[in-house]
Amino acid sequence: MFQFLVDVLMRACDLMLVAIGMSAVYSLMKFPNIALVQYAATGGVLAIVLQKTGMPVVIAIAFAVLLTGLLAVILNEFLFNRMLKIGSSTAMIGSLAVSMIFSAGFLVTVGPSPSRFAMPLSRPVRILDARITEPQLLSFAIVAAAIGMFALLYFRTDLGRCMRATSTNEVLADATGINTARMKTIIVLISGVMAALGGVAIALKGEVDIQMGMDLLLPVFASAILGGLGNPFGAIAGALLISFAETAVTAVNFGPLLGQVVAFLPVAYASAISFLLLVAALLWRPRGLFVSEVKRV
Amino acid sequence: MKSILLSGIFVLGLSAAAYAQEAVIGAILPLSGSSATQGEDQRRGMELALEKINADGGVLGHPLKIVTEDSGGRTATALDAAKKLVTVDKVPVVLGEFSSGITIPIAQYLLQQDRVHINIGSSSTQIRTLGKGAFSVIGLDDVSGAFAAQDVFADGAKKVAVIAPNNAYGQGITNAFAAKFKSLGGVITSAILYTEGQTTYRRELQQLAAGEPDLYVYTAYGKESATINRESFELGLNDKKWYGLYLTMCTADSDAQYVEGQIGMDLNYIGGNGADYQKAYEAKFKGGFTSTFNGFAYDGVMLVAAAINKANSLDPKKIETAIADIGKSYEGVTGPIVLDADGQRSAQPYLRLKVESGKAVATQ
Repeated sequence: MFQFLVDVLMRACDLMLVAIGMSAVYSLMKFPNIALVQYAATGGVLAIVLQKTGMPVVIAIAFAVLLTGLLAVILNEFLFNRMLKIGSSTAMIGSLAVSMIFSAGFLVTVGPSPSRFAMPLSRPVRILDARITEPQLLSFAIVAAAIGMFALLYFRTDLGRCMRATSTNEVLADATGINTARMKTIIVLISGVMAALGGVAIALKGEVDIQMGMDLLLPVFASAILGGLGNPFGAIAGALLISFAETAVTAVNFGPLLGQVVAFLPVAYASAISFLLLVAALLWRPRGLFVSEVKRV
Repeated sequence: MKSILLSGIFVLGLSAAAYAQEAVIGAILPLSGSSATQGEDQRRGMELALEKINADGGVLGHPLKIVTEDSGGRTATALDAAKKLVTVDKVPVVLGEFSSGITIPIAQYLLQQDRVHINIGSSSTQIRTLGKGAFSVIGLDDVSGAFAAQDVFADGAKKVAVIAPNNAYGQGITNAFAAKFKSLGGVITSAILYTEGQTTYRRELQQLAAGEPDLYVYTAYGKESATINRESFELGLNDKKWYGLYLTMCTADSDAQYVEGQIGMDLNYIGGNGADYQKAYEAKFKGGFTSTFNGFAYDGVMLVAAAINKANSLDPKKIETAIADIGKSYEGVTGPIVLDADGQRSAQPYLRLKVESGKAVATQ
């Protein structure tokens, strides 16, 4: 039972940070930035590469995350803002193209084999009936800390208040004297940093390969939409719901019903369930499960 | 004018005849992708064969040439490679690949194009039914699966769980293993065919563990196997024994600490006459065999060269007849190769192995 909870948490941690980034940026930019999932992959890959050059792990992660945030700001400034002037679907297709360039970039630089952090062998520790390894615990800690700091920033600081105002109604925020251009840059930076941290959390638990970004795309989207685009903390609930569904689908033993010892649904159905949930949400609650301040999908 | 034209045609005709004499054969190998380690090893076997053949005078009086294409571990790429070899390089024979899920489609295509196909690395039982013109120098899984089942049962395990890739190879060997194991009186608690190319196999492993087997039987391609071995360690499934089918393939890319103590079976890759070949490999590549598959690639190329020389022609049909003829009794470096009526290797010896200090060593 506890192992089930641990698995749900682990899968949710994969998705949470990137979904928060996606949600925050969408409310601002009014287009779904597909390249965001590639920022996650970039964060993970960059941290691994930096560690290989000799940096200690913590410094490598900090640098990687900051560099990815900067990359997000640069791409936004020179590419996505211009595409957005033409239209939001243009920007979305443009972001898809950019994410494919990222994929090709990874293939050329890192190669098709998965990369891993250089870490000592970690024996799993037994907590109740679950087995967890130290890197997995570290991964949880990073995600929890990131969410905590973001919540602090978002709700307790002046900057956070300005960010929320800009996300809700940009014109009004501008009229009250908030520098919306600066707010946008800051939010893009934060979303890039969150996505990169999410990628690092995934990399710590296992390995990163060039497909990681695109594999994350649809579950992250589903989480962000379920939580309500524009509501970053709804995205956390969305991620938990998606990962619960995915884990439950493959962990429930139908054996006793069928008269066998074990009978499970094939693992391929795990992703199908999250898309089913997404379709259901779009049909019945397109604004997300929670009331969000953005009245648009 | 007329004499210039005539002599021109005469010279062209001569050179065409001379050009046609050069023997070019094709090879499709996974030089990148999850089986890159094994693909590179196969390429090494072919390289050694090429050197030996050309040192001995080549084929039909000219040096032999092998055009090698990378399948990337994907069927679509492999089929493109086969088309290129047939239409551009116009080869009569193609050797390859490694994964049964890729070998079967390219063999079907090559047979449609009336070329000869030599299987040097795949073992799915479906290869037997490919048809005339398809040969295997490596034994198929109906034999290996039964061997493994007997080995596992003799080891004392009565309930086992099986995990294999979801392709022709995985399905074939799982069925062969399960059939023999059940006939001996054992029980398969669950058999999972995993989807290739995933970055995590936790869910599959947890489903396997739910059946509480005595022992886990697994087979997986290099990079995926590394993930499975690491995650089974992290989930604590290493408490039970793990038995690898084609153990060297399963452990080649895995971290030594995760596979220590695993047992398994693999091809007996060196026959009585293989000592010289082994020395040549170790001298050229500065180290022992990186997989059990290089010898079969070597034997494949040697067999094809011998057949071309015997047929004295590059016509695929004549080469096919010559291979069937030579295959009645051929001494390869992997042991005696006897091709049966379906063109498959009829006797394939296997080894029992155990991983000690990171290397798979034969036990008996």
